[in-house]
Amino acid sequence: MRKTQGVSRGEPFAFSVDGDAIQAYPGETIAAAMLAAEATGFRRDRSGRARGLFCNMGVCSECLVHVREGDVSRRLRACLVPAEPGMTVETGLGE
Amino acid sequence: MSSSLSGASPDYDLAVIGAGPAGQAACLSLNGALRIAVIDEQARPGGQILRQPPRAFSVADWMTGRAYRGLKARLAAFEALSNVDFMGGRSVLGLREAGGAWTLTLSGPSGVEEVSARRVLIAGGCYDLAVPIPGWTLPGVMSAGGTQAFIKSQQLVPGKRLAFAGSHPLQLLVAEQALEAGGEVAVVAFIQPFSTLVWRAITRPWAALTHGAVLLSALGSAWRLFRAGVPLRFGRPALSVEGQGRVSALRLGQTERFECDAAALCFGFMPQADLPRAAGLQVTPARPGGWKTNHDEWMRASRRGAYVAGETTGVKGAEAASAEGALAGLAVALDEGLIDQDEARRRARPWRKAREAAMWFSALLEAVADPGPFSARLPDADTIICRCEDVVLADLQAALARCDEVGSVKLATRCGMGACQGRNCEHSLLSLAGEPHSERSAFTARFPARPVRIGDLAAR
Repeated sequence: MRKTQGVSRGEPFAFSVDGDAIQAYPGETIAAAMLAAEATGFRRDRSGRARGLFCNMGVCSECLVHVREGDVSRRLRACLVPAEPGMTVETGLGE
Repeated sequence: MSSSLSGASPDYDLAVIGAGPAGQAACLSLNGALRIAVIDEQARPGGQILRQPPRAFSVADWMTGRAYRGLKARLAAFEALSNVDFMGGRSVLGLREAGGAWTLTLSGPSGVEEVSARRVLIAGGCYDLAVPIPGWTLPGVMSAGGTQAFIKSQQLVPGKRLAFAGSHPLQLLVAEQALEAGGEVAVVAFIQPFSTLVWRAITRPWAALTHGAVLLSALGSAWRLFRAGVPLRFGRPALSVEGQGRVSALRLGQTERFECDAAALCFGFMPQADLPRAAGLQVTPARPGGWKTNHDEWMRASRRGAYVAGETTGVKGAEAASAEGALAGLAVALDEGLIDQDEARRRARPWRKAREAAMWFSALLEAVADPGPFSARLPDADTIICRCEDVVLADLQAALARCDEVGSVKLATRCGMGACQGRNCEHSLLSLAGEPHSERSAFTARFPARPVRIGDLAAR
C-alpha cells in the first residue's frame, strides 16, 4: 500500500511481471512495485511453494527474480533494482 | 576503473564499504583530505537508519523525529564532500590485499568492476536476525527492519494489516510508523513476559537513566499503539504464521490468532560479517548471533590497511557507529601521516566519550531484546531453517546426530549453501550444534558475498 499523503511521485509506467502489467513510479524498486500490486511471490522453492521477500536490504536473496534484457537474463534482487519502463521480470523456479 | 596490476598505483587512497553513519563520519573526519571511494548497495547514501527515498520522489516531513536530526545533518555534510566518489547501487562481492593495496570486486549496473585503494574501511552495517518459526517462509512474512525500510524509503507499507512479533522493542516503533503511514496493525507480540522486559531494563539503571529519552520513545509508541486499539501481547513464545500461498494470520500459541496480510518479525540484529571473514580478518561471536570484527583502539582490524566501524564491530546503534567511523577516519589520517599522535588523540576524545555513552545503552537494549538461544525454543521439526535450500529442522537434527562438525552438516544437508551464503541460517545451526563455537568451526565465508551472474564475472 503506497503512502500518498505528503508524497509526490513522478509519472507512473508499466513493466511486466510474469506477463502481467504492473504499475511503477520512477525510483521504485521492482519489489516495492510488486508489493503495491499485491504480487507477493518472488520465487518458488524446490517443492514449488511461493516465497516472498524477507529482508529488503540485499541480504537474504529471497527476492531473486529473473530480469530479462535482450538475450540476457539475470537473477537480481528485486529489493535493490529499480523498475524501469518495459522491463521484463519473471518469478518462478530458482535456477 | 581497474588498476590492480602490480606496480600501478591504486585508484583511491581509501575505499569505504557502506555509506551509513560510520562511513559518513569517517569521510567527514578526514576533512577533505585523500581520494575516497564510498560503495553502497543502495542508490543513495544514508544507511538503513536514514534510508533515503528515491530522488524521483518528493517527500514532505521525511524522518522529522528529534533522534534523526544530528544524523541528517551529518548526511547532508557527507553528500557535499568533493573528495568522495559515491558509488551507489553496487555490491562488494569480495576484497583481497596484495602489495600494499586492497582490491574490491563490485557488481553493479554496469556489470562487474574492480576498485583498488591503499586502505579499506568496512562499515557494512547490520541486518535482521532471522529466527525460524513455523510458516515464516510464506510470502508476506518479512523482517521488521525490511518493513521499516519500505516505509522510510519507498513510502510503502508492505501490506494492509500487519502483525508484529519478536523480542526487540524496535517493533513498537515500526508498528507505529506503519500505523502513521496508513496501515493497520493487527498485534504487536513479544516472546518475553512484560516483567522480564522491565526487569532487564531496571537492573541497568545507569543506562536506563542516561538514555531515558530512547526508552521513553519506545514506551510512547507502546502507549499510542494501545490508544489506537492495537493489541499488545507479552510472554508469547510459541509464534507461528498461517496461510495458503501467503500469510493470512499470526498465531500466538494455541488460543490466539490475529488475521493479517503481512507479518514482521523483530528479534534483533547481526553484523554484516561476510566481507571481514572473507578478507581473513579476526572476528568474535556476537550476541544475539553472527560475528563482530576485532579491532584495536583506532578501529584497525587484524590486517594491515583494514579498518572497521559501526555495526561491523557489534550492533550498537547509529550514534556509536558515527563515533567509531570518526575514530576510523582519524586513524587513517594518523596512519597516512596527515596528523600526529597528539592531534589524533585530542580529536578522538569527544568521539570516544560519545561511543562509551552509546555502548551503555546498547548493552541495555541487547539485554532487553535478547531472544535467547535458538536451541532453547525450537519450532516444529518441519520448520524450514535454511531458506535457500529448504532444509528443515529435522534434517539438521538428524545430520547433527551423525556428525558434530558444522561443516559436515552443511555438506550433508546443503544448509548454508544457497544464495544467502548462510546469513540466515548459520547462527541457528551453530546454536543447534552447541556453544561455544569459533569462526574456525563455522561456515567458510566465500566469494562472492552477494549473488552475481557467472557470465558477468567471466566478462571482466
